[in-house]
Amino acid sequence: MKTHNTSLLATLAISGLMVGCATTAPTELVAARTAYTASNNGLAAKLTPTELHDAWIVLAKANKEFDEHGDTTQCRDYAYIAQNKLQLADVKARTEQDRLQIAEAAKAGVVVRDSQVKSTRAALSSTREQLKEERRDSNAKSIEIAKTAEQLEAEKQARVSAEARLAGAMKDLATIAAIKEESRGLVITLSGSVLFASNKYALLNTAMTKLDQVAEALKAQDSDKRMIVEGHTDSQGTDRINQPLSLNRADAVRNYLVSRGVESDKISAIGMGSSHPIVDNSNAENRANNRRVEIIIQPSHLSVR
Amino acid sequence: MMKELMMSLAVLGLAGCASVQLPADQLEHSEASIRGAEEVGASGVPAARLHLQLAKDQTETAKKMAAAGETRAVLVLARAESDAELALGLAREVAVHADAQRANEDLKAVRERGTN
Repeated sequence: MKTHNTSLLATLAISGLMVGCATTAPTELVAARTAYTASNNGLAAKLTPTELHDAWIVLAKANKEFDEHGDTTQCRDYAYIAQNKLQLADVKARTEQDRLQIAEAAKAGVVVRDSQVKSTRAALSSTREQLKEERRDSNAKSIEIAKTAEQLEAEKQARVSAEARLAGAMKDLATIAAIKEESRGLVITLSGSVLFASNKYALLNTAMTKLDQVAEALKAQDSDKRMIVEGHTDSQGTDRINQPLSLNRADAVRNYLVSRGVESDKISAIGMGSSHPIVDNSNAENRANNRRVEIIIQPSHLSVR
Repeated sequence: MMKELMMSLAVLGLAGCASVQLPADQLEHSEASIRGAEEVGASGVPAARLHLQLAKDQTETAKKMAAAGETRAVLVLARAESDAELALGLAREVAVHADAQRANEDLKAVRERGTN
């Protein structure tokens, strides 16, 4: 009995071992099942469901074969094919993902390029506007420059003409008066006997013609220069007589010049009496020379308004 | 008993001699996949190269088995076909992945140009 029992136990053990072997799925099948679970939870389920389904069909055949006949070559073949198909489903899913990425990149590229083109166009348009504005400014400036050039030319012409007029007037003046450049300015000296009768301060008729020439010369001077008319007498007579006489004479000359167009606020008159002789009063000729009217055209820097 | 054994051997012999017809479309598809995989550069991709070789080997094995009348030849051809398809898929994946990387780099470059 013991022997039987022992024999029965051994038979059961072997049988159990055999059953254990028969119910253990082959490595290929286990791997295929694991792979299916992973793929079904991964990218393939979303992007390559058809391929995943194909794999599932083959895996189902492997499972059926295993369930019906155990670990057969056919079961292993199906499991092998199922594994390959599952891997292919994953590979195709990743490839599809890459393709989607390419499409998205292309789309994004178009958007970026469009935006760049728009911004470049906007910048170009702005630059064009700026250029137009600059051209307008430039034209305006050119016109302004041309006007300024014209003005300068006109001023130059006027100056040349004024200088010519002045030179002519001074030349004419030199025939009737002594002209001398001194530190106090240009001094035009007119003889007293040519302008006034003795002890008088009314201008002689002949004097007026000469003073007309003087007026022309003075008007030709720069407008910012001031002029002083100085009346001088000889030393005969007292200062009480000579001083007012020299002032009246200077005034008479000044007033006449103003009446001939010399600006009144630019010209003044003073009487110097006999205090500034140019030569001694020892003889008649010298005294005649001392009786004089001087018109001083002050240099600009001395002209105080 | 001897007679039965002889008959069995005769049946087995006959079975061994009768060749198995491989499904033409399956064979054609398998061979087309092998050529396709080679064309897209499977030989240069280690994983693809392995499956390509397996596909080739198993196709030959299937042919031999079919000629020898082994019915498993059809399943071996199906294994070959799955390897060929996988080789082709793996090779394509590498090519498309490279394209995707290039596309991303191009996009990055375009964006960077835009900001400069």
